[in-house]
Amino acid sequence: MPELTYREAVRDALAHALRKDDSVFLMGEDIAEMGGSMAVTQGLLEEFGPKRIRNTPISEMAIVGSGIGAAIQGMRPVVEIMYEDFLTLSMEQLVNQAAKHRTMSGGQVKVPLTIRTQGGAGWSPGAQHAQQLEAWFVHVPGLKVVFPSTPEDVRGLLWSSIYDDNPVVFFEHRTLYPLKGEVPTELEPIPLGKARIHREGEDVTVVATGRLVHEALQAAEAAESEGISVEVVDPRTLLPLDEETIIGSVCKTTRCVTAHEAVVRGGFGAELAAIIQQGAFDWLDAPIERVGARFGPLPFAPAMEQWVVPQAADVLEAIRRTVARS
Amino acid sequence: MATVEEKAGTGKKRVSNDALRGFFREMLLIRRFEEKVEERFRAGELPGFLHVAIGQEAVATGVCSALTREDVFASTHRAHGHAIAKGTPVDKIMAELYGKMEGCSGGYGGSMHLYDLEVGNLGANAVVAGGLPAIVGAALAFQMRDEKRVAVAFFGDGATNTGTFHESLNLAQLWKVPAIFVLENNGWAESTPAEQQLPLPVDQLGKRAAAFGMKLIEADGQDVEAVYLAALAARDHALAGKGPVLLHVRTFRLTGHFVGDPQVYRDREALKQERETKDPIRLLGARLELTDEDLAAIDAEVTAKVEASVEFAKAGTDPQPEDALKYVYA
Amino acid sequence: MASEVKLPRLGQGMESGTIVRWLKTEGETVAKGEPLYEIDTDKVTQEVEAEATGVLLKIVVADGEVDVGTTVGVIGAQDEDVSELLAASRGGNGSAPAAAPVPDARALEAEEPSNRLLQGKPSDAETAAPRSSLTPPVAAESRVKASPLARRMARESGVDLAGLTGTGPEGRIVAEDVEDAATRGAARVALESPAAPPAGEVEIVELTSTRRTIARRLTEAWQAPVFQLSVTADASELVATRERLVELVREGETRPTVNDLLTRVVASALARHRPVNAHFVDGKIVRFPGASVGIAVAAPSGLVVPVIRDADRKTVQQIAGARADLVSRARGGKLKLTDLEGGTFTISNLGMYGMEQFVAVLNPPQVAILAVGSIQDRPTARDGELVVAPAMTMTLSCDHRAIDGSEGAEFLRTVKAFVETPALAL
Repeated sequence: MPELTYREAVRDALAHALRKDDSVFLMGEDIAEMGGSMAVTQGLLEEFGPKRIRNTPISEMAIVGSGIGAAIQGMRPVVEIMYEDFLTLSMEQLVNQAAKHRTMSGGQVKVPLTIRTQGGAGWSPGAQHAQQLEAWFVHVPGLKVVFPSTPEDVRGLLWSSIYDDNPVVFFEHRTLYPLKGEVPTELEPIPLGKARIHREGEDVTVVATGRLVHEALQAAEAAESEGISVEVVDPRTLLPLDEETIIGSVCKTTRCVTAHEAVVRGGFGAELAAIIQQGAFDWLDAPIERVGARFGPLPFAPAMEQWVVPQAADVLEAIRRTVARS
Repeated sequence: MATVEEKAGTGKKRVSNDALRGFFREMLLIRRFEEKVEERFRAGELPGFLHVAIGQEAVATGVCSALTREDVFASTHRAHGHAIAKGTPVDKIMAELYGKMEGCSGGYGGSMHLYDLEVGNLGANAVVAGGLPAIVGAALAFQMRDEKRVAVAFFGDGATNTGTFHESLNLAQLWKVPAIFVLENNGWAESTPAEQQLPLPVDQLGKRAAAFGMKLIEADGQDVEAVYLAALAARDHALAGKGPVLLHVRTFRLTGHFVGDPQVYRDREALKQERETKDPIRLLGARLELTDEDLAAIDAEVTAKVEASVEFAKAGTDPQPEDALKYVYA
Repeated sequence: MASEVKLPRLGQGMESGTIVRWLKTEGETVAKGEPLYEIDTDKVTQEVEAEATGVLLKIVVADGEVDVGTTVGVIGAQDEDVSELLAASRGGNGSAPAAAPVPDARALEAEEPSNRLLQGKPSDAETAAPRSSLTPPVAAESRVKASPLARRMARESGVDLAGLTGTGPEGRIVAEDVEDAATRGAARVALESPAAPPAGEVEIVELTSTRRTIARRLTEAWQAPVFQLSVTADASELVATRERLVELVREGETRPTVNDLLTRVVASALARHRPVNAHFVDGKIVRFPGASVGIAVAAPSGLVVPVIRDADRKTVQQIAGARADLVSRARGGKLKLTDLEGGTFTISNLGMYGMEQFVAVLNPPQVAILAVGSIQDRPTARDGELVVAPAMTMTLSCDHRAIDGSEGAEFLRTVKAFVETPALAL
């Protein structure tokens, strides 16, 4: 199987869709000649031309909104919001428009729009370039929310997002772009709403998203050496959510840790914990632990940043708490 | 589409009397429809939040008459007129207002979210300027596919103060998409008068186009002929690949912001005078020199249509509560 | 400052209650609100919560019936001397078994400080108490701390959480603790049972209302002319079939036990031997078309026999579900009268206690009862070879007024056949 970086895998899915289908086109800031602020769309302008690889003004509302309009007219636009912090500028269009057209029209309208964005800490960008806001969108009926953590997943899920007839907010994690991984030779779509069990275990389930999937896997290795067997599940799609796999895993292991880079309070882990306690109450042998960032805007200084965002050690601590004996 | 003639000896265009009579009939239909909506709301029959556009009928009829069925538009919370003028039967609109499955949005939208994809109604939008960016996108799709269609956004003077407006017009002009931005300038942002919300004199709001280098076309919004001709010109401009147009029409809202608005903020005398001098239907009737019999006949015809729409709506099917989530996802 | 544990009035018209057992032993730490002991009133068995935090210094009444207001125990600080308090309070106890001195004014004095405490005023005793004698705040828990999984497992296996010591964080009972308790249950019970009364002291146990009913009915049964029949069956297939059924169990379903399977095959046998599936009432024999099998359950208040209705028409899985529900409610004292009615036959199984075989007393008006012993590997001759196979001895008690020996024997032979080849029961 070939190996791609997470970045190349995103680009590969985009290029495949652009080649296959004239209705697919890209819009976003700096995505053409520059190839995107994260170099994801490098080379696409050369292959597909400026009509389909469109640099936009710095106008998040118009980027998302025009994507909505084109999508309703039968296109499959993929728009890029450079940093997920800037999704805030397009919230009206995402939340009031994209998510609601279909219901408000009594089913007449479809909005097959993909909104790609990226974020994440670990490189000292400070408070306005590294938030993890995925949980906000899980609260909006009508949107789908995807957050892949590996090259294979990002490629297969981006493809499925582009071909989904609903608006999909597609989160990429900045620090994962250089991550290498094997991908199928032929692009294999991965259905939205299916979790991936990265690692099977007996004692604790860690449900992790984004970068924390990799931190969780590291923590699981460390736990293994302490005799704790950890299962790591990545929902991959936060909305719709593969509740069955997650609840099934927790019923098996009887303990659960949720882990994401976003702040704990009101984070996606809260939703997971609610779903798990409902579906696996009688199987739970310990309180569900939540791992996430400390509750503050991200500070600049590396030492402070490192302390605020969760790492493998935090996941390991939480794992230990779930199996602790007094 | 109405017939456009050369005005004898002047080189100026004019609309045939027959066409104007057709406009008159449609504007009166909109008027009677909205009066009925007010009446039924007050009778407690209609749920929700209703906004009528009494006084602005010439804009709806003038613009939509210049469009083809394939052209699309997005409207505002004050959308009944646009929807009727673009060709959605009043039955379907009234049924929507009654929350029936036969409604143009199946009972999911209501007055502020009238959709009818078949005739190019992409949806009335209850967020001020909310529909503008999608109109840029729709026009972009037409441009990318080389389709001879325009996308039209209706919005008011209040919307020109939003970031969405500026981002949308900016992008539309940048990409020269075939869009028409119809600025229905009635001088009110809900209850706030022009002088408290517009940095420009109300009649000069069209100047905003210059900021984007966008073509500006202006017309008297109470003169349906003028609106129609201006919209035709705008459409020609957009389809010629010259870029979008800001179509600025000054109009008058002869009622409150919403049905039931006591309009405590409004000068009664001024309103009375506007009603006497700015009513587009009255103005057109005078110009057409309609006789009392003519008028009575047209009125009877449209009133019967409106009455029938109420009957149709009341006889409609109530949706099943559990169908509420049927269209959350495609 | 020590405070007395007095029997509370738990409902209108309640004058007395019978202490069934203590959930804490002397010297154990208790927190206010924590279940302290169980009492049996004429209506229900229920837990009584501690009204003070401290150490259970003395259990005055270990069990038996006492009047409302009687001092049944004392909670105080570690090593606190409560002899005076006890001497005083005994005076107020009309029915306390010990000697009853004349009521003493000190009893009232003794109560005062605790009242002050309630009002938030410091008492001398409290301010004088050394810090080290204060109860750790961790004990301030109002209920048994157990994980949801541990609770479910306890429910299903009949383990009483109150008797367990949790090994999880802050003493939480976790799944492992319940597993441990269930597997080593017998040993645990022996260890944790209250010590026998000192030599020479006679213990008088008052009958609970349940116990009284048991006594009356079984004495009644004893008057019937009863004969017994025994048979030993090879249980290999029964065990194997049960294992196959367990593999088919879906998540959330109860795992069937060998007993559930036995209930099913016995019900099938009853459907084929109607003389055994009968009541003897007022000199008449009433034979039933369907088999509703009572299962004897050792509940905290005594033996109860909830009924699995129409067991001959239920699947093993349905029987398991019904059984789990009945057993858990029986142990929780939550059975309804309707759960106990309508049985046409009863199975009593003491196999889990290691009994190889025993004779059960009739459960009138039923005319027969099956006593089932443990399944044990026993040497047996099979096709002329001596083999070791799991075997089980069953003893049928029959009311001779309704059943003849041959009828009983035929029934028991069918049961044996069904146990050895469960498929025949279909």
